[in-house]
Amino acid sequence: MTARNPQTLMALPNEDNFDFLFKIVLIGDCCTGKTSILQRFKTGNYVERHGNTIGVDFSMKTIEVEGKQVKLQIWDTAGQERFRTITQSYYRANNGVIIVYDITKRATFANLQKWIEEVRRYTASNVLIILIGNKCDLEEEREVDFEEARQMCQYIPEILFVMETSAKENTNVEDAFRCLATELKRQHDSNSVQAIDDNTVQLGQSKPLKSCSSSCNLT
Amino acid sequence: MSNADEIKIDQPPLNFEKCPENDEERTKRLLIEELISQSDDNCIPLPALRELALSNYGLVNDDLRRILWPQLAGVDVRNLDRVPTLDELQSHPEYNQVVLDVNRSLKRFPPGIPYEQRIALQDQLTVLILRVIKKYPNLRYYQGYHDVAVTFLLVAGEEVAFAIMEELSTTHFSECMQETMEATQRRLMFIWPIVHFEHSELFQFLQSSSVGTLFALPWYLTWFGHSLNSYKSVVRLYDYFLASPIYTPVFVTAAIILYRAKTILQEDCDMASMHCLLSELPDDLPFEDLLITSRKLYDKYSLTVIEKKVEELIKLEKEQRILEERRRQLARSTSAKSHNNNNSVSRWFSNVITPRSVIMTTAVSLVVGICAYYYKNQYLSAGIS
Repeated sequence: MTARNPQTLMALPNEDNFDFLFKIVLIGDCCTGKTSILQRFKTGNYVERHGNTIGVDFSMKTIEVEGKQVKLQIWDTAGQERFRTITQSYYRANNGVIIVYDITKRATFANLQKWIEEVRRYTASNVLIILIGNKCDLEEEREVDFEEARQMCQYIPEILFVMETSAKENTNVEDAFRCLATELKRQHDSNSVQAIDDNTVQLGQSKPLKSCSSSCNLT
Repeated sequence: MSNADEIKIDQPPLNFEKCPENDEERTKRLLIEELISQSDDNCIPLPALRELALSNYGLVNDDLRRILWPQLAGVDVRNLDRVPTLDELQSHPEYNQVVLDVNRSLKRFPPGIPYEQRIALQDQLTVLILRVIKKYPNLRYYQGYHDVAVTFLLVAGEEVAFAIMEELSTTHFSECMQETMEATQRRLMFIWPIVHFEHSELFQFLQSSSVGTLFALPWYLTWFGHSLNSYKSVVRLYDYFLASPIYTPVFVTAAIILYRAKTILQEDCDMASMHCLLSELPDDLPFEDLLITSRKLYDKYSLTVIEKKVEELIKLEKEQRILEERRRQLARSTSAKSHNNNNSVSRWFSNVITPRSVIMTTAVSLVVGICAYYYKNQYLSAGIS
């Protein structure tokens, strides 16, 4: 995890001045709006029809969370099944996963199980997952009730929360990323306490080794 | 210092601007027109045609491409199949995916094209793609295939475009159209030995950033059509690839990386920064020079030597991955032992006790009770009689 001293970074431009760096990957079926959500979050703009994502695209944004600068590195993956074997390798080093479904396409919701299995298989055990139901502006075309998504989440403990968004009308997009970033920061804060403990143990273990090698030299 | 934050993910519009012909282009155009007029069936002998397509400025303009691309692709324009209607193809399992992608391919159509015309062309594009995958059920559609198809459609029209796509799908793109992308992924690794032989410092730098080859995937799958912002460059590259052996895009990719060596070596050596830098093709790439380099590289290194090196690389990567996996598992098991024991049990327990599970358990025990009662009665009555 990268944490830098703000004082030594005074000369650098603002976006490089961050306290935490988290990696997030966006996954989900084709045309659920992954790229549009990311685009909205990143630039504040919305493009009606994006070209599709081939392989992975990548974006960064720094936001302030609980008084700290949190830099998010976001990998946007292709939804087509054919690219799955390729994008899997990008799950590995991630801290957070955003799974996106389309509230107007039941099939994209039904496929969530498959995506969750993917995440279980290819990411670290402490990865944080959130679920996003996109296109909530299209209320009249809705095929998945929010309540249903919430109930499903109860059975999947890895999912932190579910949120409905609209990249088009800019509903909840920023909030979704912000909530995930906050949780990632909290997880990191509590882990670093553990990490300090771990470190002391490691240092203790390495000591006898060193003394051994020096004593070997002496003899 | 990283400039990754500057990268925009929205696609800039494709530049269709027609530049005035320069002197060399004019000379080449006149030469090609002369050659065409000399023959009685608009044909140029294949070796000469290939050389024209490979050398500077390629086939110069779309009017000439319309005549020469089919020849270059080895397609007989006098013997074309009937175009089926969109309705005939709607039952294809990939229909929805293709329509979704075609609807999102606006970037590839010239700006200002009348709405009806664009819709008609998009329908033709859908038909064109579905025809190929229907005729060859072993070939799988991939996102990006439509970027290739639209290029031929706009230049050569739907009938010829189909014939060309049919030809390319069974040759150049057949590997990309396999069930999985594994072969393509492996093919992309051919970049590394070439970079290694030419500039080992650059190779080491890129390897240690663990950037992988995914930045080049859209280039390979679409012959750069998905990633370039200038229409002129797209069709120029298509001239080159149509006249070249099958894995040429790999060599062009290597040429691009080598050309950008200085910029790459100045970038932060991490996967994200490197992926960002490499995946954005600068607008001012000197393609004519790069194509010459690519051809030299192709002549210089045999595919067998490259393949052998790739095998070594894959082996090395595999070993590293196993090591990493072990390290992670070890870390996971120690942390699980020391911290998470109570946590996971309570988590599991809270999962098990949900309203639904309570209802299920009650229902199951009721059913068991009823069955037991029923069978007991049955046995009792059987015993009596």
